[in-house]
Formats: sequence, structure tokens, C-alpha cells
Amino acid sequence: MSTSTITLDQLIAWLSRFRDLVTEKQSYLTELDSAIGDADHGSNMTRGMNAVIEKIGAAPATAADELLKSVGMTLVTSVGGASGPLYGTLFLRMGVNAGPVTELDGAAFGAALRAGLEGVVARGKAEAGDKTMFDAISPALDAWDAAVADGSDLSAAASAALAAAEKGRDATEPLVARKGRASYLGERSTGHLDPGATSSTLLFQALVDTVTN
Amino acid sequence: MIGIVVVSHSPALARAAVDLALEMVGDTPPQIAIAAGAGEGITGTDAVKVAEAIDEVASGDGVLVFMDLGSAVLSGTMATEFMTTTDEVRLTDAPFVEGLIAGIVLANAGASLDEVAREARVAMGPKQSQLADQGDTPAAADTAAASTSAATSVSAEDPAEVTAEAPLINPDGLHSRPAAAIVQALAGVDAKVTISDVTSGKGPVAANSLIGIMSLGATKDHVVKFTATGASARQAVDTLLTMTGEGFGELAS
Repeated sequence: MSTSTITLDQLIAWLSRFRDLVTEKQSYLTELDSAIGDADHGSNMTRGMNAVIEKIGAAPATAADELLKSVGMTLVTSVGGASGPLYGTLFLRMGVNAGPVTELDGAAFGAALRAGLEGVVARGKAEAGDKTMFDAISPALDAWDAAVADGSDLSAAASAALAAAEKGRDATEPLVARKGRASYLGERSTGHLDPGATSSTLLFQALVDTVTN
Repeated sequence: MIGIVVVSHSPALARAAVDLALEMVGDTPPQIAIAAGAGEGITGTDAVKVAEAIDEVASGDGVLVFMDLGSAVLSGTMATEFMTTTDEVRLTDAPFVEGLIAGIVLANAGASLDEVAREARVAMGPKQSQLADQGDTPAAADTAAASTSAATSVSAEDPAEVTAEAPLINPDGLHSRPAAAIVQALAGVDAKVTISDVTSGKGPVAANSLIGIMSLGATKDHVVKFTATGASARQAVDTLLTMTGEGFGELAS
């Protein structure tokens, strides 16, 4: 096994890579959001993640819970759109679940992220197939957990999670949005990828890039 | 008095909605805090700001939170996890403009969190009944029923009951401003008062409900009937007769 745990430094590298990816895809995310939303997802996520990375640099965390909670609060106060409370909740709950540790094994990382997702579901009341970030994250976590349980290394688990996230994201295209601004469009929301599912797939792309070295 | 928090994507929208509502109340409005925008001119909402606004207006009697849409609702629910007050805080699904106006007027009259929350939720009633003949107001009947049920039930044979009738002489009848003036005038008066429109047969509605009064749709020359019970019933009815006789201050001089 090449890597069996995710250290605090890797968590920071993961977040930093996520920032780079949303920045890279900023126009694309906003384009997706302009089709079915209010055309601010790319700029909101970029602004939020830039604030996160700046915060991490200014006040380095000494444990996973401290780091992730700080990430969550920074997103809440800097994103503006619905992604603020939703991504904010994801990281806040993930931090609470992770606890004051300096590294997480595969199972612990999966459990923490799942606690975050459960927080998002409680906040946004989304279910599978509502055309939301849940549709990418949920299958990705299932794939991650299954790979970790099978004894795969984290690189293989992350690749499996990314593949599942991409599949879940692509499956949002024909769906009718039932949550958020897109739900006002009803049937007209079909034929477009969900921006939230697309940005959250980048979380797993970032994870692959972080644990595969 | 309850506190009111206004959450909007846009500071300008929140400010304008609050200003519109404040035109209806006197010089001592309830505590209102706005949490709007995501800072630096960015459209959006911020749960931390909402929590701060809640804490700012909480004074023991509860806080009612109005939100425009989307992330405002998410930020509102999240704010209840960040706030430090122990006041009861309620997020209302009331319509933003109508609910805020009805809520601020009633809050200003000293109503409880329950009463203000109920009033705000039926605030679409007058608009729906005004547009009922347009055939596109699905909930009109429901909200009309709700505002009527808010009326105090008064027994016709109650010996302590005081009633009086008067015609409306001001040009626009019981529209929002006179309705707000009535709610305001009855604040703190120890009486349960209802109003009905004798001419149209609508009502009775509770006289402490802006929305209830407006739902009568009572226009000029309609005769309205005031019915009051309680220790200050006579005083309440006299006050209303005076206001009606003066055309709620809206007669051309």
C-alpha cells in the first residue's frame, strides 16, 4: 500500500487543489449555472475557496477538526449563494466527525465526509435524483467506502470515488431540478449538468491528485 | 416587543421593504435588523450575519425572521445554529413584502411572536381576494379562511358587547394605511374588537389584524360595524368611530 492515511498536510493540499480546480473551471461552472441558476456558482466557489486558502495560511490549524470547521465557517461567510451554507455545512460536519486528530485513515476520512454529506442533506432536504451535489457525492462516498473496505490503497479508492462522482454528475443532465433556483425552471432544467454536482466532483478530482503521488 | 430580522440577497431590497413597512408604523418601530448581501457588494446571504442580526434584536420576546428566497432560507436555518440568544426564533415562510408589512405593524402593536407569525403567513390574503376573479389564485380561499378564523369569536348575546356602525368616508376605504392605524390605535387597549363590512357582508375579522382588515376590501361608502368586548370595549369602539369619522386623516383639507 502506497498511502494508508491522510495527514493534516494532505487535507490542506486537498483543499488547495480543490481551490485550483474550481478556479480553473470557474467560467465553466458559471456557464452551467447560467443555464439553470443565477450564474454565480463559479465565481462564488472561487471566492470562497480563495478565502479558505488565505485563512489556512494566516492561521495554520493543528488538527483536522479545527481545520475543517474553519474551512466551513469561511465558506459560510464568503460564498454568498446557496453553496455557502451547503459546502459550509459539509466541511463543518466533516470536522466535527473527524475530531481532533492529525491524520485520518481511509475509513475515518470516508466517515467524516459522509457525516458532512448527511449535514448537507439535513440542510438542503435533497434526495437522490433531485439534481444536486448529493448526486455526485453520495455515489462517490459509496465507492470510496467499498474500495477502502476491500483493502484498496487510498489512490485506488480515490480513483473509484472520482469515477462514481463523474457518473453521478453526468446522470444529473436529464434530471428535472427539484431544489434551489433551478427548481423554478421545472422541465426546462433538463439537458444541463447540475453546477453543484459538477463542483463537488472536483472534490474527488482533487482527492485523486492529492493521494496519488 | 418581538424582534424582526430581514434576510435578503440584496441590501437595497431589504432596506426598501423595511422602509415600506415603516411607513405604516409610528415613531417607535420594533427592533428590526437587516442581514442582506454577502459583503463587498456581492449578492447573497451570510448565515453568520443572520445570526448576528438575530442576537441584535432578541430582547426576550422572540424573533421572527423573514427571508427572500433560496440561500436566504438556508442561511436562516443555519443561523439558528450560530446564534447565542436563548429567545425563541422562528423562520417564517410568509411572503417577503406583504408578510413583513403585516408583521411589523402587528409587532409594533405589541403582539406576541405567535400572533405576528400567524398574521404574516396569511398576508397574501387581501391580494388574493382582490384578484380572486382572475382565476389564478389557488390559495385565496384558504388564506381568507385563515384571516377570518383569526377573528375573535364574540357571542352575539354577550351583554358586555359594544357595537357601532359607521360609513367609510375616506376615498380609499380600509386600505393598508387606515388598517395599520386601527391596529396601532387598539394596541394596549383592553378589548377584543372585530370589524365587519355590513354593506358587503364580509367579516367579522379581528381588528388587531392588518391583513384581516384589508381582506374585508371595504371601500368608500361601505358601512362597517365595530364589535368590542372587554373592560375597555366602549373606549375601543369610540376610538374607531372617531377615526372613521375623520376619514382616518385622509380627507382632503
